[in-house]
Amino acid sequence: MSATIQGPARLSPTDTVRVGASGLTSRPLRSTLSALGIAIGIAAVVSVLGISASSQAALIAQLDTLGTNLLQVQAGQNFGGATSSLPLTAEPMLSRVGPVTTVASVATVSAKAYRTSYVPVGVTNGIQVKAARLNLLDALAGTMAQGSFLTKATENYPVVVLGATTAVRLGFDTLIPNSVIDIGGKTYVVGGIMASMPLAPDIDRSALIGYPQAERDFAITGSPTTIYLRSTPDQVDAVSAVVPGTVNPANPNEVNVSLPSDALQARIATNDAFNSLFLGLGAVALLVGGVGIANVMVISVLERRSEIGLRRALGATRGNIRSQFLTEALLLAGAGGVAGVLLGAVITWIYSSTRSVQFVVPVTAVAGGIAVSLVLGAIAGLYPAVRAARLAPTEALRSV
Amino acid sequence: MSQVTVLTPQPIDRGDDPRDVMQLVNVRKIYPGPVEVLHGVDLTIKVGELVSIVGPSGSGKTTLLHLMGTLDQPTSGQVLINGIEVSSLSDRQLSAFRARTLGFVFQQFYLIDGVSAVDNVANGLLYSGVSLARRRELAVRALRRVGLGHRLGQPPAKLSGGERQRVAIARALMARPAIVLADEPTGSLDTQSGDGVLQLLRELNTDGTTVIVITHDPAVAEAMDRQVTIRDGLIVSDVVTGGVPR
Ligand SMILES: Nc1ncnc2c1ncn2[C@@H]1O[C@H](COP(=O)(O)OP(=O)(O)O)[C@@H](O)[C@H]1O
Ligand SMILES: [Mg+2]
Repeated sequence: MSATIQGPARLSPTDTVRVGASGLTSRPLRSTLSALGIAIGIAAVVSVLGISASSQAALIAQLDTLGTNLLQVQAGQNFGGATSSLPLTAEPMLSRVGPVTTVASVATVSAKAYRTSYVPVGVTNGIQVKAARLNLLDALAGTMAQGSFLTKATENYPVVVLGATTAVRLGFDTLIPNSVIDIGGKTYVVGGIMASMPLAPDIDRSALIGYPQAERDFAITGSPTTIYLRSTPDQVDAVSAVVPGTVNPANPNEVNVSLPSDALQARIATNDAFNSLFLGLGAVALLVGGVGIANVMVISVLERRSEIGLRRALGATRGNIRSQFLTEALLLAGAGGVAGVLLGAVITWIYSSTRSVQFVVPVTAVAGGIAVSLVLGAIAGLYPAVRAARLAPTEALRSV
Repeated sequence: MSQVTVLTPQPIDRGDDPRDVMQLVNVRKIYPGPVEVLHGVDLTIKVGELVSIVGPSGSGKTTLLHLMGTLDQPTSGQVLINGIEVSSLSDRQLSAFRARTLGFVFQQFYLIDGVSAVDNVANGLLYSGVSLARRRELAVRALRRVGLGHRLGQPPAKLSGGERQRVAIARALMARPAIVLADEPTGSLDTQSGDGVLQLLRELNTDGTTVIVITHDPAVAEAMDRQVTIRDGLIVSDVVTGGVPR
């Protein structure tokens, strides 16, 4: 007599998840604690990536508004070691270079600025007085915090515009109309205070007056000490190469050309280096979390031998038992991963709102965090699941 | 009193009578050690019988139940269920076979903690490809049948021993198996709860299910229609109710 024996029925995906979850929901405390390791690891990784992306987004946004096409030209040192100033012709020559769109300059004035004439001469607070072109603010993509920049009218009068740091050092929190300061013994009216300029920290520490007024009061020659120029963005390198020869054809090597945005870009890069440390710590936490899940799963299999025996008696195949424990480990790690991503996002959000920077959690961190937890869960669950499946039904049922 | 009859060997007809639902032919079981627990057991159970296998502790009853339940294979000899030789089936086929043909009741109930009575019973068809909604429907029906219609949502921890065993019986019967194997089903229960459980098994049998109850308790064995006595791995008597030898 031959009878055909049908193979086992497949467990539906919903049943697979339900069966896997039943082992977790019946031991909620243990499940929570064992998912915690993964959650902490993922939270560390996601928050480090989120915080770094948020602060980078802020720096990148700043770079976007400031532009990466600003060149700063200064006179280098000559053979004698003295700082040479740039030739008078430098500005008009640079304006003639095709891709150059803006040329502005400052010229250092030897006179010092004081809040009043009673301040002792030596106490300069590190403030430099500079003559400035009217288009300097535009060239540096700067903004005024209060008042206004030098104009065609005010550059001919004793009017001064203070850099952000200068204003603080001289004690100007708010600009009271007709406030005056002392420059080289002469009284200057404060016309405005500039907002901080990340591309030109020098200007933050300066007090700016008009070229004509500086020539009159302090007898400067009109040759600039620093030239700021903007080029069309794709020609920055080419312009940078021709600047020294254009500025000082006789001694091009005495001309220094720099790209102030490089400093900001360097800060974005330093962030990356610093992050690897925290990412490393997160990876260690993840590893510990994975080992924790493997440990809990091994214990779970030992404790639940009779359940395994019962399920085999009810018709579960070895594959059913294996996928039950594998699903359990995946759910555990997956829940830890999701909790970790949420926690990491919350930490990033707290950071970004206290620093008032943009809130960014990279999609790759979210997807990667969950993927990594699932992979860890699979690895941690595989051995216990295989052991559970290998258990002979009789052995499992005799264990109580 | 049932008298003990020493059986004379009788010819075994292998699986050619369609009414033979369970056949053991010269079954031996040797555990590693080696310990020979069953020394050549021959036993035939017909469809619809209500049989007890009774014997002292350690006589090999549970081993026998595991062999009859396809949970283990004999060292030698044959186990045929519905004419199919168990050793010819793969592990996957055996699993499917248990899911469709066999129901188990254990002394320790083996209910899953933290899972309601309904869902414990519904697990009786978990591995048979029946949808959850249908499983629950059948589970509710089975629980009502064992008199636990009012305990559907309770977890095992909130049930008495007798109630737990009735949940386990509901789980075994809801898949409508051809054979129910019970290993000391009253072993953890007081007499009254035990009687209730035996009553349920008898009712199940009246519906046509073959019921095989393993017990060390002569009183439980008395309650069945046929009593097979095992001692030291050998069947020493096989009588029908009232002590009439088969
Ligand atoms: N896996 C095993 N390995 C070795 N000996 C076993 C194993 N399982 C059961 N035994 C032994 O087989 C004998 C019969 O056991 P069992 O079938 O449980 O008897 P019963 O159910 O009648 O008490 C006992 O002596 C027991 O110790
Ligand atoms: Mg036993």
